Amino acid sequence: MARDMTHAVTETADVGRVGDLALDYVRQGTRTVLTQSRCCSPWHFSPPIQLDDSACTYTPLVNPSGGLVGGDRLSVRATLGPDAHVLFSTPSANRVYRSLGETAVQTVDLSVGSGAILEWIPDVTIPFAGSRFRQAIHVTLAPGATVLLWDAIASGRVARGERWAFTSLENEIRIVTVSGQSVLERYALAPSVHGVGRAAAWDYVGSLYLVGDGVDAVRWKQLDAQLAAILDARPGAVLGGVSEPAVPGLAVKLVAKSAPDLNETLDELWQAIRLTLWNLPRPALRRY
Amino acid sequence: MNALALIQGLRFVDSFFPSGGFAYSSGLEAAVQGGAVRNAGDLSRYVEDLLLNGMGRREAVAVARAWDAQARGSWREAVATDWELDSMKIGRESRQASRQMGRQVIRIAAEQIDGQSILRDFHAAVEAERTPCHLAVSLGLALAAAGWSREDAVAAYLYQTATGLMSAALKLLPIGQREGQRLLDGWMPLIAELSGQTQPDMTMTSWSPIQDIYAMRHSNLESRLFRS
Repeated sequence: MARDMTHAVTETADVGRVGDLALDYVRQGTRTVLTQSRCCSPWHFSPPIQLDDSACTYTPLVNPSGGLVGGDRLSVRATLGPDAHVLFSTPSANRVYRSLGETAVQTVDLSVGSGAILEWIPDVTIPFAGSRFRQAIHVTLAPGATVLLWDAIASGRVARGERWAFTSLENEIRIVTVSGQSVLERYALAPSVHGVGRAAAWDYVGSLYLVGDGVDAVRWKQLDAQLAAILDARPGAVLGGVSEPAVPGLAVKLVAKSAPDLNETLDELWQAIRLTLWNLPRPALRRY
Repeated sequence: MNALALIQGLRFVDSFFPSGGFAYSSGLEAAVQGGAVRNAGDLSRYVEDLLLNGMGRREAVAVARAWDAQARGSWREAVATDWELDSMKIGRESRQASRQMGRQVIRIAAEQIDGQSILRDFHAAVEAERTPCHLAVSLGLALAAAGWSREDAVAAYLYQTATGLMSAALKLLPIGQREGQRLLDGWMPLIAELSGQTQPDMTMTSWSPIQDIYAMRHSNLESRLFRS
């Protein structure tokens, strides 16, 4: 049965690598700059990239080993000072390799300062057959801060016919607003024990959360309609819904038949959100 | 359980109780219109999936925690569970439906079950908008106060969920009363198993992405019989 993931991810493991990436950003004039960084293997420090003349700085999350093996404990910690704008993404999919015993663990703690914008848009997680993975992403928002957070899993290595064959996958996403209220997604999958239900007909499952108390209600309504139209654009290939969570913002849940369907839908959602909220286009990130 | 405890609790899960549950389909209406549920077989798999991986792992735990909170006389523990559940219910209509039904239960339970200060304290917190009052929490409190066991309270919640979906299905699908009873009968072993397994110290989890998506899509349907 499911365990307390917040506690479980702090347990020490006997095998595997322990990698920590800690980054602090502040707004300086029209730019967001990195003021402190700490990094240990398997994370590879990649300097932030200025994508355009906006305040947004892009930090690629690079794990040159290409994925996680059982016993790995990777963490990312980042703080964004007031009015900073940071985009995190990954250069490729996050692969989780087969493990006979130990679980691979990834924890992400992100603190977003007043008026700051955080975009967390990693590529999909691919849990290989027999893999064990546990992830916890926690975001804390200051007044006026906004987060756009995407998280998606594949059923496995779909191209080789491997679907929903991982041993276990636990995921927790928690976004806490200044009011103390939060949005929380938490699931614990063990396909060989409970199956994956109606999701078995699909190969990709994703969630997109857009949360912030600095956006007026009219803007949320506009975005709600735009995102709903995008989710309806690929009938049979993508099924998705958008709604208002218990905190100011929008939540999107979607399933897709293929990686192109998933990625194109995400790109369109992301473009609509960026243009509507910040008058910025979606950045073209290099992916492999 | 003595007869008085039985009927004191039964009325909260009886369709005669004015919770307004008949107005909600928990996204089933959108699933039917979307073609995901067309017949009795589809419905059975849809509901079993929701019970096994969705509400049976989340709301069931909330019922058990609320039951425990009542047993310990700690309404604040019930409030903490209530907020956690609120955070996890990301679809607005589903969240509002659960809150609306929960408020009806706690209002009547606090007024009419004698000698239960925790019900009155929790109800006061609801009225002061210090807690959202989801159905799983208020029903757990009410059934505990009525003298039901924790396992029975969880079973009652899941059974009420199943009958609510069936009630909506009878209006949405070409399914007759007798077929509906046959499906309900098929879900009962699962409800009993989940109720026996559920413990208050479990982490609340939920995996029902397809049902969640249809619940989120419901508000955009052009014609609607139900409010969720």
